[in-house]
Amino acid sequence: MADITQQMPGGSPAVAIDEAKRQKLLELVRGRALARPTDLAEDEVMVWPSLVVVEAVCATVFLLLLLAASVLFNAPLTARANLNQTPNPSKAPWYFLNLQELLLHMNAGVAGVIIPTLALGAIAAIPYFDRSPLGVGILGTSSKGRKIAGFSAVFTTVVLIGMILLDEASGRTQFFIGGILRTQFGAPEFVYNQMLPMGIIVVLIGVLVTLVQVIFKPTRREMIIALFTAFVITYVVLTISGTSFRGEGQNLVFPWQLPREHH
Amino acid sequence: MAREQTLADKLSSSSLWRSVVRHGYPDTQRNQALIIASNVFLHIHPVKIKRYATKVTYTFCLGGLSFFMFLVLTGTGVLLMFYYIPSADLAYQSMKDIESSVTFGQLMRNMHRWSAQGMVIVVFLHMCRVFYTGSYKPPREFNWVIGVLLLVTTFLLSFTGYLLPWDQLALWAITVGTEIGGAAPFVGNQVNLVLRGDFEIGQNALIRFYTLHVLFLPLVAAFLMAVHFWRIRKDGGISGPL
Repeated sequence: MADITQQMPGGSPAVAIDEAKRQKLLELVRGRALARPTDLAEDEVMVWPSLVVVEAVCATVFLLLLLAASVLFNAPLTARANLNQTPNPSKAPWYFLNLQELLLHMNAGVAGVIIPTLALGAIAAIPYFDRSPLGVGILGTSSKGRKIAGFSAVFTTVVLIGMILLDEASGRTQFFIGGILRTQFGAPEFVYNQMLPMGIIVVLIGVLVTLVQVIFKPTRREMIIALFTAFVITYVVLTISGTSFRGEGQNLVFPWQLPREHH
Repeated sequence: MAREQTLADKLSSSSLWRSVVRHGYPDTQRNQALIIASNVFLHIHPVKIKRYATKVTYTFCLGGLSFFMFLVLTGTGVLLMFYYIPSADLAYQSMKDIESSVTFGQLMRNMHRWSAQGMVIVVFLHMCRVFYTGSYKPPREFNWVIGVLLLVTTFLLSFTGYLLPWDQLALWAITVGTEIGGAAPFVGNQVNLVLRGDFEIGQNALIRFYTLHVLFLPLVAAFLMAVHFWRIRKDGGISGPL
């Protein structure tokens, strides 16, 4: 109100206006004003139209892409289910092939149930360990956080590919160690196929944590970035390995050597 | 001076129109607020939002796309249900029929299949986006846990749907998948038996997977999504720089 009176040409300061005059001035600004009064803060926008437009465009673009994909590529339908005809290789849906890849290297219960349960539990628990509000809303928290993510990604990729190749070369005997434990020392399955692989995983996570600690001196959030990145990369690398590099008998092959239905 | 009334103005100010849509044309802030607040679908949103929350390069629309894919999957899924028969004897033939003799059947099936695969990817990427922007931090820690449960539900939805075509790909993928579940220590055999309803995958497994896929898990997902979206609002909208 005070603003309006002060903007009026020749208007006297608001304090000098009596009540009757003030109402008259109000009549003058009736109708469609060029600048509408607003209760929006500087950094706020109206959801309609600012957000709903973004949503509508995203939904439309996605729907068009999906339609195009659905017109171009047919969903697979192989021969009728037949319990007496086991395909070689038999593969789980692609998003579980990381577990199936893990399964090649250790006890099925460890690979298929214990490790994914622990991983999901750890992921769900992240916010209860990292409570500092620092860096919210910034991708990777800081340039150091992004560097740590990159380091963890490279480390995990190299280690995983190395381990897959090495275990394959050792005839899936946990890099010969499991084989030696079994044949030389008569160790039970529990030791060489459960404790040993889990131990190797724990040690490798420890190596990653130590390296990140020594090189970067990270905050707790940045250390969790390193670990979460390691999980994401593990999921991706094992999925790719299980999907594109496992042929007959789950032996390592190149993607173009896979049986037709797994292309 | 008031502008001349057009036909559209007259229509949209008629009592019939106003009985459905309570607000006027959203060119004023009042009507823009009303259109959000008085619409059951839009009022999932607040009326005002921080400017950074509309930036596509912050969220990449991943959460919204996950939800949109869920809607697409529900729509195409209902259409497929009109033709699909969850019987070990008839399922495969009904898939063939959907592909060859149902109008737009192949398109519906393709859309369902590709968005199911897409949803797994997008939900996973959404989790990554939320993680790398630190959006799980208090007060959003519980919503992160709900999100992890939604990821698991998405996996299960996709997995249970995988068996339904009743082809070799489906049968053996589910055989391998349930064997992984069956390797659980102590309760493995029971888990396997509960999932399959039998010692091998047959009619019992099919009807279990079908019921989980078309009814139970979508309800679980809808329930979790309701909590997830509600909590976004209650925890102060989407996260942003302090």
